[in-house]
Amino acid sequence: MSLHPALIAFFIIALAILSAAISFLTLRKVIYMALAIGAVFIGCAAVYILLGAPFVGIAQVLIYAGAITILIMFAIMLTNHEEMEPPFRWTLQNGASAAFCVLLAAALLWIIRSQAWPAQGGTDINHGRSNPAAIGLELFQHYTVAFELVSLLLVVALVGAVVLAQARKEDE
Amino acid sequence: MDNPVVSVPTGSLLGLAAILFCIGLYGVLTKRNLIMVLISLELMLNAVNINLVAFSRLGVAPNLDGQVFALFTITVAAAEIAVGLALVLAAFRLRKSTEVKDLNTEKY
Amino acid sequence: MTDWVWLVPLWPLAGYVFLLLSGRRTPEAVAAGVSVVLTGVSCVLSLVVFFQLGPEPASGETWLFHWLTIGSARVDVGISLTHLNALMLVVVSLVSVLVLLFSRGYMRGDERFSVFYQYLNLFVFSMLGLVISPNLLQLYIFWEMVGLCSYLLVGFWYFKPEAALAAKKSFIVTRIGDTGLFIGMVLLFLGTGGSFDFTAIFQAVSAHTLHLGWMGSQGLTTLAALLVFLGAVGKSAQFPLHVWLPDAMEGPTPVSALIHAATMVAAGVYLVARMFPLFQASPPALTTVAWIGGVTALLAALIGLTQRDIKRVIAYSTISQLGYMMLALGIGAYTLGVFHLFTHAFFKALLFLAAGSVIHAVDTQDLFQMGGLGRKLPITRWSFLAGALALAGIFPFSGFWSKDDILTAAWQQGDTALYWLGLAAAFCTAFYIFRVYFLVFTGQSRDEERTRGAHEGSWVMTVPLVILAVLATLAGFVNTPWNGHALERYLEHDATASAAAATPVHESLPLMVFSVVVGLLGIGLAYLLYGRESAAPARLAERFSILHAVSFNKFYLDEVYYYTVVAAGKVVARFVRALDRYLIDGIIEVGARLVGVLGLALKYTQNGQVQAYGVIAAFGLVVVIVVAVLGVGGVL
Repeated sequence: MSLHPALIAFFIIALAILSAAISFLTLRKVIYMALAIGAVFIGCAAVYILLGAPFVGIAQVLIYAGAITILIMFAIMLTNHEEMEPPFRWTLQNGASAAFCVLLAAALLWIIRSQAWPAQGGTDINHGRSNPAAIGLELFQHYTVAFELVSLLLVVALVGAVVLAQARKEDE
Repeated sequence: MDNPVVSVPTGSLLGLAAILFCIGLYGVLTKRNLIMVLISLELMLNAVNINLVAFSRLGVAPNLDGQVFALFTITVAAAEIAVGLALVLAAFRLRKSTEVKDLNTEKY
Repeated sequence: MTDWVWLVPLWPLAGYVFLLLSGRRTPEAVAAGVSVVLTGVSCVLSLVVFFQLGPEPASGETWLFHWLTIGSARVDVGISLTHLNALMLVVVSLVSVLVLLFSRGYMRGDERFSVFYQYLNLFVFSMLGLVISPNLLQLYIFWEMVGLCSYLLVGFWYFKPEAALAAKKSFIVTRIGDTGLFIGMVLLFLGTGGSFDFTAIFQAVSAHTLHLGWMGSQGLTTLAALLVFLGAVGKSAQFPLHVWLPDAMEGPTPVSALIHAATMVAAGVYLVARMFPLFQASPPALTTVAWIGGVTALLAALIGLTQRDIKRVIAYSTISQLGYMMLALGIGAYTLGVFHLFTHAFFKALLFLAAGSVIHAVDTQDLFQMGGLGRKLPITRWSFLAGALALAGIFPFSGFWSKDDILTAAWQQGDTALYWLGLAAAFCTAFYIFRVYFLVFTGQSRDEERTRGAHEGSWVMTVPLVILAVLATLAGFVNTPWNGHALERYLEHDATASAAAATPVHESLPLMVFSVVVGLLGIGLAYLLYGRESAAPARLAERFSILHAVSFNKFYLDEVYYYTVVAAGKVVARFVRALDRYLIDGIIEVGARLVGVLGLALKYTQNGQVQAYGVIAAFGLVVVIVVAVLGVGGVL
């Protein structure tokens, strides 16, 4: 297999994502953890762009890396969190979790290895349009109802978040 | 750029997603801070999104559905994190703590 | 016009539904008016059908609708119109209308007036449905429905403990008979290879194709006939299951007149008449029917001699007269049994309604608290007298024609034992009914307090009495030698009954005169003992104290049943209760304790830590995936 530039880029990105994720698990300073998670989100966006899905990638950057990360930082600050996570300890729960996660990963990887995947497609899934235009058509032609429902969900979530987060009288 | 032949092997993409998913799962199961648990959940969702986008390009019948689904997932995740964080704030106000182990009112 | 027969039962049903929906607060006049008018329409329709029904056997028709299929057996519901059924329709609807009208006065002011009418309407519907059933299963359903209505109406004043007990007793005792009928029905169903239909059963019986396992046609016919007869014994209060009917007098008197005199108790007789070809094919069954009928006739008449409760006397006379009908059927005089049913419905309903009128006036049922009421209740008095003469079988009242025909038939068939049995019963009947008459209507009042304010009820009560009195007097003339036994000829048009006509009755003047004389002797004795104030009855009772006690205590049958059947039932029930409490409950208890202990142990896994649950779920996920990969061969 020749080392195509895109392949090299993918491995670099994958390495970055995984190392950011691992550091999210191991870092103890809360603000660093938030930064690490932002790195994972941006890495994922890069993978999407690499796969020819620039619209999803940009949306990922805007929503995850932008909005959600900021939201999390606000939440951390609002809950008056101490700067440091307590040090890691090997409890029964942690050990079991690690074992099961490793097992699960092993099983999944084994399945992926043992499967013959279809050849790399050259099909034009955008039907000759630009990717955002194709997605827009898809959304408003085939997924109209779902799209509207999702917007409704967003409104409900917005209102719900406000109601849940606002200070109630009896708490004061 | 519109329609490149993707030279990344499918198995590598799926492997990346699987590992990311397991890391997220481990975080959900072990993190002691509620906010960190939520973040770990987001990791798992991202792993799923990678799969969706990968199959949108490399599946048996490549089409745009995978990408649209990924978009929906992102939207729903945004809604979820908003409500989730609001809940964390409410719980924090109630118990002065964001530790998962303090939310054990359903204990026997 | 006969096509309209399906409408007949629907009018009372409409009345029932109307009263059910309009609720308890329905004004009395509305409830009674609607019921009387609707049932009146049924009555008119029945009369039209009765007269329109042609003379040839085929003019009776059957309309069937497919109901359900069991295996290969097809069960229909529908309407069967025979001459017998047409006659029953007339009897039931006519008496119903009069009783419904009478109840307007008798039940005035009752808290549950409209509920009473509701039940009565349901009963009339069920009874009309019963007599036009084309097959045994439908008949059985309506049979149980009239039983249910009887239960509801006997226990109508459920706040009286005796009424509640009597309702329970009537239900349980008739249930014994119903069980027999049910088993008989199932045997016939299996024996005919899967049919409840009357005609199919009769065909199988006459072709001797009835069979079931090792049992041949003759044996199965006899067994089925006896079991069906057991149902009739329960419903028609024949010995030994007659004990419920006197107690059922706890119900309101119109109920006694309608259900426990004219219609429902006659359903047993009707059943035997309807199934007559089955009985005809089995001489032992016929003999049983005749003897049970004869014994019941005399036994009930003997008990009736000494009762103090006016309704109970009439109730025993009902049992006795039903015995006559059974006797007639048993000796093969099918048409005569039905004829007696016809006349009896009128004069017995009359007697009950007249008794109701008396009770309404003096508010007691004890004969020895009445007396001298003839002047205060003239209409009641004369109509009661007409009913009493009919019951006693005095020429030319209706009872004379039907009862005398039965006795004559018994004599001419050579069943002299049954003849003497019936004649003895006739003597007792004449005596006890005139004992009631003299005690109630003549002489001096024995309880001034009660009888002082006695007066006739309003027209709704007197009109039915007068109509019934006319019918009781004249109904016998539908079947006299002068019109060539019109009713017998009418009934013989039924194909099922044609064989029964093989034994025609020839009027015999000596026998007629003899039975009238016997009846008059009974009346004369009653006059001697009770017509004037005298100590003779008390002296006689003392002289024959044992006999008097036996009769007064109803041959101690209730006590015998209590100490045998009921006591045995209680022993079984106690055993079963112990079994349930200690064995079955014990097993359940052990199971429950086990689960409880398990739950106590497992509750500590519920530590409220959501991440602990997550670990277990992750473990489950891993297991599922590994099993899927290794065991099933893939996750897809």
